[in-house]
Amino acid sequence: MSGGTVRSLGKGSAPPGPVPEGLIRVYSMRFCPFAKRTLLVLTAKGIRHEVININLKNKPEWFFKKNPLGLVPVLETSLGQLICESAITCEYLDEAYPGKKLWPSDPYEKACQRMIFESFSKVPSLMVSFLRMQNKEDCSGLKEELHKEFSKLEEVLTNKKTTFFGGSSLSMIDYLIWPWFEWLEALELNEYLEHTPNLKLWMASMKKDPTVSSLPTDVKTLQGFFNLYMQNSPEACDYGL
Amino acid sequence: MSGGSARSLGKGSAPPGPVPEGLIRVYSMRFCPYAQRTRLVLTAKGIRHEVININLKNKPEWFFKKNPSGLVPVLETSLGQLICESAITCEYLDEAYPGKKLWPSDPYEKACQKMVFESFSKVPPLIARILRTQNKEDCSGLKEELQKEITKLEEVLTDKKTTFFGGNSLSMIDYLIWPWFERLEALELNECVDQAPTLKLWMAAMKKDPTVSSLLTDVKTFQGFLSLYLQDSPEACDYGL
Repeated sequence: MSGGTVRSLGKGSAPPGPVPEGLIRVYSMRFCPFAKRTLLVLTAKGIRHEVININLKNKPEWFFKKNPLGLVPVLETSLGQLICESAITCEYLDEAYPGKKLWPSDPYEKACQRMIFESFSKVPSLMVSFLRMQNKEDCSGLKEELHKEFSKLEEVLTNKKTTFFGGSSLSMIDYLIWPWFEWLEALELNEYLEHTPNLKLWMASMKKDPTVSSLPTDVKTLQGFFNLYMQNSPEACDYGL
Repeated sequence: MSGGSARSLGKGSAPPGPVPEGLIRVYSMRFCPYAQRTRLVLTAKGIRHEVININLKNKPEWFFKKNPSGLVPVLETSLGQLICESAITCEYLDEAYPGKKLWPSDPYEKACQKMVFESFSKVPPLIARILRTQNKEDCSGLKEELQKEITKLEEVLTDKKTTFFGGNSLSMIDYLIWPWFERLEALELNECVDQAPTLKLWMAAMKKDPTVSSLLTDVKTFQGFLSLYLQDSPEACDYGL
């Protein structure tokens, strides 16, 4: 069902056909944290889907018809409707499909989760900057910023006195921010969790979640991917296959 | 009901009391485009509210308890719940209050509006930068970028073949992007919509909307505010009162 281990499609590949009825398609990349959000929601809600992985270092020309920006994730329905932007895809799936709602139904609770999401928004670019740093000595400024962002999240959890960011069970906000925490170990940033015990506990709880554990990212494989991706290698996206 | 013309509160002012039951409070500033989003939604949905204007050039200390970042808009309910970030406040109001829903109920239509919103997101910071740029060369470069973003929006409207961004009647996306288009004339950026006839028609239709027209600020008043604001004057936010 997931096809998450399929080789990516690159330049010169044939465009895929229409999406079969009863399925939704996600254009993804095995190591993309933004696309991971969409995969987590698809899996958590038990939505039948197919995955087409895109070689982000050698993008197929047809992919720009799916998203002019050429970014993953993109959802495509059997009606040919296209939805871009990871957070928008996640909200779409939550609304369009039955089953457990991942966004809370209470408007204030939902607003709170969205405010946490907004608060988290600096983390992805910080992590990418960290990844790009060749000279590890210059990292101290970045590390301080990252530490600040993690402390903010720690405060939220401490104030809420719950395991997860939305309460005692996993909800949308947890899935939306999770993929970057998967990177911490691979980027050797685990030390930052020493000052944030609640965040550490949250990570341990996340790893036990059936959805999260069904979509694991192996540290060594991720590091192999980072290495090739930073060199702009067209082999990066298929590392480990 | 609106109290939108009340003098702003600054440093040393007494913190306001709790929000009376049956009302919602918005911390605002008469000329802030982000806060205008919230006021547009409050007005469009006929929500009973009170406005407290904040002097953004001389912020009261108590305001940082409402929003640690010190920014408007902030919503406060009679239960003391606080909601920050303009887009989050607008979505909260749409969900928490009855009456016409401004976000479409169809998940795909809503996703499309959110994608337009995402696409629009470069415009506010661009306009803010244009305002601050003294150098004519940098300014024309920025104006070109603005033109590009506006062309993207023109394309959306032209493809949709409807008057408004959500269809034939006004909806959330129109209100979310309107405040910056309202300011184009005062900022002498009307040239940026010269090549965008469909957008121009949209602007005219927006000005005829009862909600939009009830919150319109005239060009001269806005220019008076801007002049003082760019000089960091503590009188800016109350200009025209």
